[in-house]
Amino acid sequence: MTEFAIETEGLTKVFRNRWSGKELRAVDDISIRVRSGMTFGLLGPNGAGKTTFVKMLLSCAHPTAGVAKVFGQDSRIPGARQPIGYLPENHRFPTYLTGWGMLDFYGSLSGMDEATRKRRIPELLELVGLDERAHNLRLGKYSKGMLQRVGLAQALMHSPKLLVLDEPSDGVDPVGRKHIRDVLQNLKETGVTVFLNSHLLQEVELFCHDVAIIQKGRLALAGSVASLTGGSGFRVEAANVPELVEKDLRQRAKTCERTEDLLRLSFNTREEANLAVDLLRAAGSEIESFSRTRSTLEEVFMSTVK
Amino acid sequence: MTATYALIRDTFREAFARKVFWGFFGCCTALLLFFIFLMRVDVVAGATATVSLFGKTSPGQDVTKIVKGTQGFIAAFMYVAGIALAVFASAGLVSAMFEPGRIELLLSKPVSRTHLLLGRFAGNVLVVASNVWYLTIGTWLIFGIKTDVWGTGFLLSSLWTIFMFTVLLTVIVLVGVLFDSGAVAIMVTFAIMIITPILAQKDQIERLLSSEWSRDLLRVMYYVLPKFSDGAKLVHHLIVNEPVTDWMPLWSTAIFGAAMLGLAIWRFERRTF
Ligand SMILES: Nc1ncnc2c1ncn2[C@@H]1O[C@H](COP(=O)(O)OP(=O)(O)O)[C@@H](O)[C@H]1O
Ligand SMILES: [Mg+2]
Repeated sequence: MTEFAIETEGLTKVFRNRWSGKELRAVDDISIRVRSGMTFGLLGPNGAGKTTFVKMLLSCAHPTAGVAKVFGQDSRIPGARQPIGYLPENHRFPTYLTGWGMLDFYGSLSGMDEATRKRRIPELLELVGLDERAHNLRLGKYSKGMLQRVGLAQALMHSPKLLVLDEPSDGVDPVGRKHIRDVLQNLKETGVTVFLNSHLLQEVELFCHDVAIIQKGRLALAGSVASLTGGSGFRVEAANVPELVEKDLRQRAKTCERTEDLLRLSFNTREEANLAVDLLRAAGSEIESFSRTRSTLEEVFMSTVK
Repeated sequence: MTATYALIRDTFREAFARKVFWGFFGCCTALLLFFIFLMRVDVVAGATATVSLFGKTSPGQDVTKIVKGTQGFIAAFMYVAGIALAVFASAGLVSAMFEPGRIELLLSKPVSRTHLLLGRFAGNVLVVASNVWYLTIGTWLIFGIKTDVWGTGFLLSSLWTIFMFTVLLTVIVLVGVLFDSGAVAIMVTFAIMIITPILAQKDQIERLLSSEWSRDLLRVMYYVLPKFSDGAKLVHHLIVNEPVTDWMPLWSTAIFGAAMLGLAIWRFERRTF
């Protein structure tokens, strides 16, 4: 079993306008890793490149540079996509299919045999809260919220190990949102990796363990929700921290996280934070930043994408 | 295999959710009912018969000639009107697959793009083939039972019709992959259908052309493009049981289709959605 459900290296997508020749770097050199069994949220303002990133992950869009791997395999290999369940943004499911027929069709494409499909379909329709009436109703007559639910059922049809959801709460009422969140919460407990694209920060904050914020195609910030928000308190970021000092600080700090060559520490009080700065300075480390930690992801987001 | 079957079945579902296919199917059914109820052929003394249409009778006709003539008419109807209608209906069916919001989900499945495209292609051919066979076999049976004329030429001609449609469908698929537009696909395909009868007269036209290069261009176009018009002659030969001497229209058209389909697959594999 590979450690990472998702692994991208220098993933880049450049769109070139056919007429003006102008280039748009929709996704620019993004390398992220999502460990198996994690819940990961990709955040960013509209047009940041979230959907383009996901499309490359599923090989709908071909990267200009870089690779996207799913469970260690290049996602351009059809078989590599077997363990993925996907709910696209702005989907348009075939209107002539019924809820049942739709799950049956996409289930077959995922390689499920007929007996399994027959067993799974009613289970899933019930799981996402679609009643008997919806089973034989054409999707053309579904409401936006119902479509979102049946779309989620479709993504879960073949019991995927990785679920990729692009704005799953789009057009769903608060009750439906809660329902979807509960479904996802249960999945999380069964060890399914969930990759969520969303602009609903609270939702991501509640649900995801790790987040990345992208802006204009570039990775602006990444880390665990806990370390990024860090409750209320103080945050110190330092570079060139000797191992011994790091060990010491790990014990003092509330959270401690390493990204590349940056050590990110959070403390409950100003005194603790100041002491850490003293220790770091004495050890010859560079203080990259010293700040009051934001209490919500929204605040982190706002200050990042400003 | 599951995926192939699913793609074909899905194409059938989508086709029959469209009015244009029901129109096609309805036309065929109306024609069959017409032959069953309105056309009465009373076979008298084997070779001659009285055909009565809408109460008018024309006695003393050669029955085989009448049957062959009617079958020829139906084959021609299928070949020209049927293919035109099928092209019209299929263009929407092909471009529907590339609709944003729909294609992403298909591409995310563990099925290669070539497989997806060929699955839909096969489904589309089978939808049209089943309609063509419905009318062809229906007519053949009705005439056979009524007149005891059971030529196989008529049945064979349906294969040519389906073959020609398949080749034109490759053009629709290629244009669909390139431009995402059903309307453009219809225009290009109709242009080919219209230009080929002209090209088929190349021997006469060549005499009218003054320059060598324009004659070469004419010849190249004739040999490269599908022989839609020559096909009609081939169908006629099949029905009246004359031997077909020149199979060039068949193989050159097949090469054209294979090339178009190859290009479409190549483009589809590389495209970003
Ligand atoms: N097929 C495409 N052709 C050209 N530009 C595109 C295409 N798809 C997306 N873009 C552009 O790429 C940028 C990122 O879009 P997207 O990934 O949809 O952002 P997000 O999902 O974060 O809102 C946008 O500026 C968008 O206009
Ligand atoms: Mg998006």
